[in-house]
Amino acid sequence: MRARRDRQTTGYPAAPETSGPLLEVADLTTHFRTGRGMVRAVDGVSFSLDRGRTLGVVGESGSGKTVLSRSIMGLLPRTNVVRSGEVRFAGRELTALTEAELRDIWGVEIGMVFQDPMTSLNPVMRVGRQITESLRHHLGVDRAEGRRRAVALLDSVGIPEPEQRLGDFPHQLSGGMRQRVTIAVALACGPRLLMADEPTTALDVTVQAQILDLLARQQRERYMAMVLVTHDLGVVAGRTDEIAVMYAGKIVEKAPTRTLFSDMKMPYTEALLKSIPKLADPSHTTLSVIPGRPPDLVNLPTGCRFYPRCPYAQQRCRDEEPPLQEATTPGHVYRCWFPVGTPEGRDALDRNRREGRLDAGAPVAPAGA
Amino acid sequence: MAGSGTAQLRTGDALLRVEHLVVNFHAGPRQRVHAVSDVSFDVLEGETLGLVGESGCGKSTTGRAVMQLPRPTSGSVRFAGQELTALKRGALRETRPQMQMIFQDPISSLNPRRRVVDIVAEPLAIWGRGGGAERDAKVREVFDAVGLDVDAAGDRRPYQFSGGQCQRISIARSLMLDPRLLICDEPVSALDVSVQAQILNLLADTKKRYGLTMIFIAHDLAVVKNVSDRVAVMYLGKLCEVAGADDLYEHPTHPYTNALLASIPEPDPQVRPSTNGAGLAGEIPSPVSPPSGCRFRTRCPRAQDRCAAEEPQMRQMRPDHFVACHFPVESPVSFGATRSTASNQ
Repeated sequence: MRARRDRQTTGYPAAPETSGPLLEVADLTTHFRTGRGMVRAVDGVSFSLDRGRTLGVVGESGSGKTVLSRSIMGLLPRTNVVRSGEVRFAGRELTALTEAELRDIWGVEIGMVFQDPMTSLNPVMRVGRQITESLRHHLGVDRAEGRRRAVALLDSVGIPEPEQRLGDFPHQLSGGMRQRVTIAVALACGPRLLMADEPTTALDVTVQAQILDLLARQQRERYMAMVLVTHDLGVVAGRTDEIAVMYAGKIVEKAPTRTLFSDMKMPYTEALLKSIPKLADPSHTTLSVIPGRPPDLVNLPTGCRFYPRCPYAQQRCRDEEPPLQEATTPGHVYRCWFPVGTPEGRDALDRNRREGRLDAGAPVAPAGA
Repeated sequence: MAGSGTAQLRTGDALLRVEHLVVNFHAGPRQRVHAVSDVSFDVLEGETLGLVGESGCGKSTTGRAVMQLPRPTSGSVRFAGQELTALKRGALRETRPQMQMIFQDPISSLNPRRRVVDIVAEPLAIWGRGGGAERDAKVREVFDAVGLDVDAAGDRRPYQFSGGQCQRISIARSLMLDPRLLICDEPVSALDVSVQAQILNLLADTKKRYGLTMIFIAHDLAVVKNVSDRVAVMYLGKLCEVAGADDLYEHPTHPYTNALLASIPEPDPQVRPSTNGAGLAGEIPSPVSPPSGCRFRTRCPRAQDRCAAEEPQMRQMRPDHFVACHFPVESPVSFGATRSTASNQ
């Protein structure tokens, strides 16, 4: 099955250089057939990413951010999945490729780092072999060269005594070290795009800072594009060029990072940011919360998907789904009828506050967490 | 710190007073995990003490040792004037209703096969308190206190709830016996940020409503600051720094506290994250053979020879601000994130 590709023994595989963005996702939809009905996990997502740039994808659990990254990669279950839309990577349409063809893309062209480093490494295979496996398979390097490169990779991801570590099993390493190893595995073949799905969520805050620094450094040195998926706005704030906020399977706001924080238009983005406890606030500050919880992806509300929880919501939000519209800053798009910081938005908020209603007359979500 | 000493203890009546707490675990022949080594702290009635540190620093073990789960290797735990370590099993059991715990994973801390109303009511049945009507009233009251509707939710089972709702049910259960002390072990770290805010606000309300004293264990400094009156920073089984919540964050004095603060990703793109390892390099050493002297010295940018030879003792730096370090940081934040502007939030 796993035919060895005849590739040059040195250097990384040459892929056709194309102009235009490295990754282009157009109207990507990923639905799952379940006993309860169709789960619309990703529902019409479009974005593009240039070489060397970083896109942050932010959202709560169940917003579809992980399914999005897996759908781009083609890492979906074989059955009961309905996927449509386009994923163009370096000029190739990934959705049209077979799994065998995708195998020449995974690891070589697109690397992936997952949340839990213990389950993404093979527990019964030595660390060295997990790194050299893809080098030998994809690039056809010999044993000695593979070992030399594995040592260099472990060294570059900040693992002390890399020669000794090659012989270790994953369980002999700490969580932070394991995540460094998965990053080394992902970088081994020199991918042009790195998909990092919650790469630091399982780690301590000090280790998180180290891993994020490491990813940023590797990305700069390799001129690699990165999609950083996380639920933590703090993680993406200082380390991305652009941020896409997802809610219930859709991108609800996308903007260059600084613009998103300074001039957010979407009430959901505002609410998400406000609910984070900040170090600058004095202790015992009451946090502003987003009432209720994300909608069921099988029974989505009509209109705007955020309206049942939105402090700005009006009747129109219930009836009509807001399209993705452009803000004044180039590259800033959002989905809202009554955007934050506009006269309409202020009016809507004032009206709701006066009337003491959460939303446009919809049943107020129970105070469930 | 990683140092010892009792300077941070206050005179007068504390609800909980822990002195020279040591917890060791066996780890093979002649090997011992020094999980908690000579930790002392106190918690006044109505106060919230935050315990912060990285994984493996002994913060959860400390919380459990207060509950005598398991009994500490040595040291003293005085709760409401009673020495818990000296109590026999039966007498200890009698004190347990006054101390309740909430755990990190809300779903696995509830029995998946039982109705939540039974889970919440069980403590009363175990202790034989009250009659049927009284019990129902109490269940209704605590469900209401945590923002759940007992009529709509009571008959369902834990898997039918989200993580945040399960945490509300855990909190409801912990309130049933009218405890005085609530120990929360990472109660929000498994939750989404939006839900985390709901639970943190709920804990603050509950504390006020029931006049609780709390120990809040977490690794997230921003969360700990939000809920705590006083914060104790732990590293490898020792206390580094103890101070009022606002004071600690304004004047972090221990190099480890500074490093922890520098590692936090701020949700503000104006704050450039520190690069090239200005945060904290390396990893927490093994608690089986902790470093001599100050346990933090192997990762400390200010470490000198003295730190290896002599363990620092807790001493007062400012009013109600204690640190165990030979070379504390006098001027605020000497390394870590460079804040180009103040947070614009």
